[in-house]
Amino acid sequence: MSASTVSTSAVKERRNNSAVWLGLILAVVSLLSQGLFFLKVPGQNTLPWLSLALATVAVILVLLGVKRAFFESQLYRGKVAGSIITVVSLLLFAMTLFGFVTARKIPGTASAPQVGQKAPDFTLADTNGQNISLADLLSTPVGNAHPKAVLLVFYRGYW
Amino acid sequence: MRPVAISVDPPEVSRDLARKAGYTFTILSDPQLDAIRRYQVLHASGGPDGHDIARPAEFLVDSSGTVRWTNFTEDIRVRARADEMLAAARSIPSQREP
Repeated sequence: MSASTVSTSAVKERRNNSAVWLGLILAVVSLLSQGLFFLKVPGQNTLPWLSLALATVAVILVLLGVKRAFFESQLYRGKVAGSIITVVSLLLFAMTLFGFVTARKIPGTASAPQVGQKAPDFTLADTNGQNISLADLLSTPVGNAHPKAVLLVFYRGYW
Repeated sequence: MRPVAISVDPPEVSRDLARKAGYTFTILSDPQLDAIRRYQVLHASGGPDGHDIARPAEFLVDSSGTVRWTNFTEDIRVRARADEMLAAARSIPSQREP
C-alpha cells in the first residue's frame, strides 16, 4: 500500500499555486472596489467593510499559497512567483487599510443640531459676494412659492 | 426644496466650480468657519496643508427653521444619495396657500 502511494506522488506533477494567484486577484479587486463609491451604488455604507474584508481574505490566501510553496514544495509550485506576489499583496493590503483608516478619521457629530431642534442662524456670502441668511434662504421664493425646506449640504471644499 | 452647499471655499472658487459643473443651486462661502462651528461640523486640520474644513454633513431645514433630517457620514467616500435626500424632503408636508 505505502509503496504504491510513494511512487504515485513521485510521478505526480506539482500543482499550480492557485491560492497565491487568487489572493493577488482579490487584493487588486479590493483596491479597485474603491471606485464603486464614485458610481453611487446603493448600500455604500457596507462598501468600506467589504473592501477591508476582501483585502484580508486576499492576504490570507496569499500567505496560505506561499506557505504551500515553501513547506509543501513537492506538491505545489510557486516559490518565486509566490514571494513576489506576497510582497505586492501586502502592499495592496496596506494601501486599502490606509485608505480605510484615513477616510474614516472624521470628527463625531454628537453635538450637531438633531432632528426636531432649531437650525442655527447664519449669514454667508454667495458666489456673487452677496450676504445671504438662513431666513433669506427659507423665504426667498423658488419659482412662485416659498421653498418648503432648505437642504444645507456642508462639504469639505478645496475643490 | 432648495439645496444650499456650504464650504470654506471663497466665493470666487465656488463660482468657478458652479460654472464648470453647471450647478445652479446656491453655494455659500464660510471661510471663517462661522456656520460650520454653529452646526458643529468642524473638521480641524482636516483639509490640505492642515486647514480647518467642514466634515461632510447634510441638514434638511423646514420653513419654520426646524431640522427635519440629518445625514452624517462616517466615511468621506460614502455620500448621501439624491433619492435619500428627496425622500426626506417629500416627508415634509407642503404648506397650502390660504
